[in-house]
Amino acid sequence: MQSDVLTVGFLVSLLAGAIRLSIPILLPALGEIFTQRSGILNLGLEGIMLMGALGGFAGTFFTHNLWFGLLCAVFVGVLFSLIMAFLSITVKANQVIAGTALTILGTGLSAFLFRAIFGIQKLPPQVESFQPLKFPILTDIPVLGPIFFNHNILVYLTLVLVIVTAVVLEKTTFGLKVRAVGENPKAADAKGIHVQLVRYICVAIGGAYAGLGGAFLSIGFMSTFLDRMVSGRGFIAVAVVIFARWNPYRALAAALLFGGADALQMRLQAIGVPIPHQFLLALPYVLTILVLVSVSKKAEFPAAYTLPYTRAER
Amino acid sequence: MLKVWTVTKRILVSILPSVVAVALAFGVGALLLLVAGKHPGEAFSTLFMGALGSPNRIAETLVRAVPLMILALGISIAFKSQIWNIGGDGQFMMGATCAVFVGLNLNLAPVLLWPVTFLAAFLGGGLWGGLAGLMRAKFNANEVITTLMLNYIAMHLLSWLIRGPMMDPNGQGFPQTALLAQPLQLPILFGGTRLHFGLIIGLLIMAAGYFFWRTTVGLKIELVGESEHVARYCGIQVPRTIILTMFISAGLAGIAGWNEVFGVQYRLLDDISSGFGNLAIVVALLGNLHPLGIVISAFFFAALMVGGNTMQLMVGIPFSLVTVIQGLVIIFVISRVVYTQWRDGLAIRRFNSRVSGQSSGRSH
Repeated sequence: MQSDVLTVGFLVSLLAGAIRLSIPILLPALGEIFTQRSGILNLGLEGIMLMGALGGFAGTFFTHNLWFGLLCAVFVGVLFSLIMAFLSITVKANQVIAGTALTILGTGLSAFLFRAIFGIQKLPPQVESFQPLKFPILTDIPVLGPIFFNHNILVYLTLVLVIVTAVVLEKTTFGLKVRAVGENPKAADAKGIHVQLVRYICVAIGGAYAGLGGAFLSIGFMSTFLDRMVSGRGFIAVAVVIFARWNPYRALAAALLFGGADALQMRLQAIGVPIPHQFLLALPYVLTILVLVSVSKKAEFPAAYTLPYTRAER
Repeated sequence: MLKVWTVTKRILVSILPSVVAVALAFGVGALLLLVAGKHPGEAFSTLFMGALGSPNRIAETLVRAVPLMILALGISIAFKSQIWNIGGDGQFMMGATCAVFVGLNLNLAPVLLWPVTFLAAFLGGGLWGGLAGLMRAKFNANEVITTLMLNYIAMHLLSWLIRGPMMDPNGQGFPQTALLAQPLQLPILFGGTRLHFGLIIGLLIMAAGYFFWRTTVGLKIELVGESEHVARYCGIQVPRTIILTMFISAGLAGIAGWNEVFGVQYRLLDDISSGFGNLAIVVALLGNLHPLGIVISAFFFAALMVGGNTMQLMVGIPFSLVTVIQGLVIIFVISRVVYTQWRDGLAIRRFNSRVSGQSSGRSH
């Protein structure tokens, strides 16, 4: 048994799996960094991801074009996140309740629309999902090839997005505005920054990323849509954001940790270790709690975190 | 006579927003059905008849309403304190698990065993949720995420228990525990239905919930929710109150689990909580976090649940439509502010135009 765990083959599949499974956590987490930096806590990621997963799947199914599917996922994600933006920014509702509502709505609506569009079938409808890229030479390197150079294009695009997110947040005027709105909306307003508009944009960006994250599950990983396919990843992404202290590079590291836990439980199940598989399934969730407990005390939340902005209030 | 009218008017005004929210949610649901090529009238009438069409259906709705109202009361206690316990499902499962464990292993007369299992359920749920309270109070860990993660962990734990240590030895491999002994099962209130004594216990708990807010503990919890700052100045130990709030809130969820296993299922199963946890959040919010409001909205959502199942069976409309309506109800309930903003804005504009009209009239 131990010899099974320590083989090179096991490690390679574990690490490759860790990278692949970190993506559906990393994508929503990157978007949530924008959202939270602007002062909004979007707990509706789970619902947005489900809608994105369905949008991506349906778009691909009817056009046989994966990129169009991806575009649909982004569109659906943005549209759905605008509900959250409206509730938290315009209505100034409690963001936890609004996020919970969005998750419930997304869970129900994605399942309902899936049945309405595809009907009830014995076998779930399938699409040809994004296939792993083959790099000349690189893919054939032993050990490193299968770990790093045998993923589909979405994995590499996500890694590019990590850098893009970091650059936009730290080096552009827009990023500066986002941070100003999240730290001191009053001062930002005095400087002539449209606080509510910036927040709307940030929530929408978060929705686009979450939609992509959902689509990664349906057309980049599974090639079908399942009601419960997101299974808490939206909430894990929020934990990742806090763990990463709102930094995209650290979010990458944290997402790899969670992807690793997910991959570990899958690999251990596959080789049949004598641990009840339910314990393995619970592993990523236990890890999330441990991580939150260890970092939350010291984390410096954006000063205007979860506070709606009104000009009249002092 | 006048007083009666004022009171009625006040009640009407206070429930009007909820009624409007529900009506709007159903409106959107009807649109969705039209888009999906179904007939909304047929769907909703099937739903209505499935929930309330006969004494048996009404009994079934009440059976669903009881755990729902106890859970929602628990959630309302946390929410009033601005602690966002969304782990009702997990706490429900842990309460049910502890109750069944004690019920199967302790040999006592039912009269004695009921209170013991009741306590076990309260402790099971309470400690599971209290853990999230502890992590929030001591480590500032966001309770929304921890309670949700604890849901998944409880689900897997339960799944393991009923396939491992607690599996029914004579169950032919079915993932379930042994049945609770016949005398332990709560008595049925009306023969031919599943309506059991738990309804009365549930209503008693709701009445207790009404008085809970007048006790010292209740007031402390409410004060912490209104302002941690003020509470600290009043000498309230905020961290301890947060843990206590979660403990009570989750303990009630455990009691809801007790009610379900002793009154309906008589054993542990995989899907024992059947999504009550999420629904209870909607119930608590629509009931305005008030015990009486919760009883009414629990009955309404139980009807929706029972009717939704009938709808799925009879006219093939997915149950997820009911989930959509739940989500929409919350959205419309919290959006009612938009209406008051619009109304106030309109009043101000009218007032301004009248004032400017008067002043211009005078100058000419």
